Amino acid sequence: MSLTVALSKGKLLAGTDALFRRAGLPFPEDPGRRLVVALDGLRFLLVKDMDVPTYVEYGVADCGIAGRDVLLETGSDVYEPLDLGFGRCRLVVARLRGPEPDTLSSTLRVATKYPRLTGAHFLERGVSVEVVRLAGSVELAPGLGLADCIVDVVETGRTLEENGLVPVEEVAASSARLIVNRASYHARRAEVGRLLGTLAGACQ
Amino acid sequence: MNGASHRLVQVPPGVQCFVGAEARRRRSIEETVVSVFEGWDYEEIIPPLFDYADVFASPGLAARTYSFVGRDGSLLALRPDFTSLLAKIAAGRLADRPAPIRLYYSGEVLRYEPPKAGRQSELHQMGLEHLGGPCSAADAEILAVAGECLDRLEVKGWVLALGHVGAFHGLVRALRLPEGVADLVGERVEAKDADGVREALSRHGASGEVAEALGRLGSLAGDPGVLAEAAAALGGCPEAARAVAELREVADALDAAGLGSHLAIDLGEVRGLDYYTGLVFRAYAPGLGFEVGGGGRYDTLLARFGRPMPAVGFMLGLDRVALLLERQQAAPPADRAAAESVEGDGLGATLGRARARRAAGARVRFEAGKGR
Repeated sequence: MSLTVALSKGKLLAGTDALFRRAGLPFPEDPGRRLVVALDGLRFLLVKDMDVPTYVEYGVADCGIAGRDVLLETGSDVYEPLDLGFGRCRLVVARLRGPEPDTLSSTLRVATKYPRLTGAHFLERGVSVEVVRLAGSVELAPGLGLADCIVDVVETGRTLEENGLVPVEEVAASSARLIVNRASYHARRAEVGRLLGTLAGACQ
Repeated sequence: MNGASHRLVQVPPGVQCFVGAEARRRRSIEETVVSVFEGWDYEEIIPPLFDYADVFASPGLAARTYSFVGRDGSLLALRPDFTSLLAKIAAGRLADRPAPIRLYYSGEVLRYEPPKAGRQSELHQMGLEHLGGPCSAADAEILAVAGECLDRLEVKGWVLALGHVGAFHGLVRALRLPEGVADLVGERVEAKDADGVREALSRHGASGEVAEALGRLGSLAGDPGVLAEAAAALGGCPEAARAVAELREVADALDAAGLGSHLAIDLGEVRGLDYYTGLVFRAYAPGLGFEVGGGGRYDTLLARFGRPMPAVGFMLGLDRVALLLERQQAAPPADRAAAESVEGDGLGATLGRARARRAAGARVRFEAGKGR
């Protein structure tokens, strides 16, 4: 039986494509609407980036490629043996440019796609927060008064700037990781080991 | 629909109800496993469903324990785990019994768990404890028993992944890492994230040979040959080197006994339950993404109950075994022959005939007055 690899259809897809080509591994070329693609020796699942760890944790996929930001958010119990070096970004707290606003409220309202991570980050600092969960366009929230600040990923910082925001604190650094299901790692050691070795060689 | 009536239909999250073929499969799994435990001369213990909360004072389990106040004001807890209960029984009720003591159990534990596949609040565990025996022999014995259970259950491709918490703890102690840093490093070791381990250590200012060994720990995993590599990598830390030597003795014994092809080594296996002190292991098989069972050595737990002695144990999760067998498409337990119908008009006479057929060993369906 071939190994199943879960891939994100999102921002990591191009980097993953380049890595697999460099490693001489097959990669689904323009899968269109297909969500499962079998190519000599590997089976690919194309899923949403937040779902990659779930497929791997449950063992539906043996391996996957997921951002560290997503792994921190989902808290999935998977192995992360390899930093693939692409998809680098930072998770930051950002607020509106200008002087810190005067406020009587002791609770900070934070908009984010990463509610778990955000809650844990402020809890550690002893700051009480109300987390406003959004699915996208998080940068709009402070300007419209939906939140005091946001926690989001930043690559170049341009989106923040265009929305009048400045990063004030780094929560975590992120990059793409190869993740492996715990049972597959041991019960399918030879195949998983080969894939791990090939990818490690290609990202040197 | 009002609030009361939906509760009469819904099942609360985290508990399950089994009927028909599924209930039969679970019963047959339990019978198979228990027969292996009995075959290795383990004795059944039926512990209480709840006990004083202090008995289960493991920090890892405390947050997941259902506790309540008894009529006399004492804090009680529904058992989240059998090991502490069996340790208490071995130290108290069985205080006069000479070591080694071999005990087994099969029953439910209750834990607050977010419901996931094979992870409910109500879990059926089948396990054993080997208390007060010589360490390597006891470790090898329980691993062989675990393997036989998986074989008898006809699980295909099972692997026992063996680790030893002494490797991690030895390195952490050598570096004098504070608890918070050690927890973070342990979490990254468990994830096999070598870069994450190195980053956490360098942020704390730890470096050198021992720190480098900690970074490599998660990748010291694979077939038993990796133990030679581990001995070289961890040679600079006596406690970690001793752990590898202990693990090697057990792995060699299992290999000599014909179990070598089922063994994997994983020195990055560090978390487990917080009372583990030596060998730790998990059982995996293709088809299930998480372990089907596991166990380890806990040499300090018995002292809490006033009878210090080394101990080792393991358990298989019945829910996970059932899920695994279903995924591996094992044949369901054979259907029983249909019951023979005992019919008739006179209630007493028909009941008499049914009793006679039962005495002869038949399976009967009592249908007096049928069709009237």
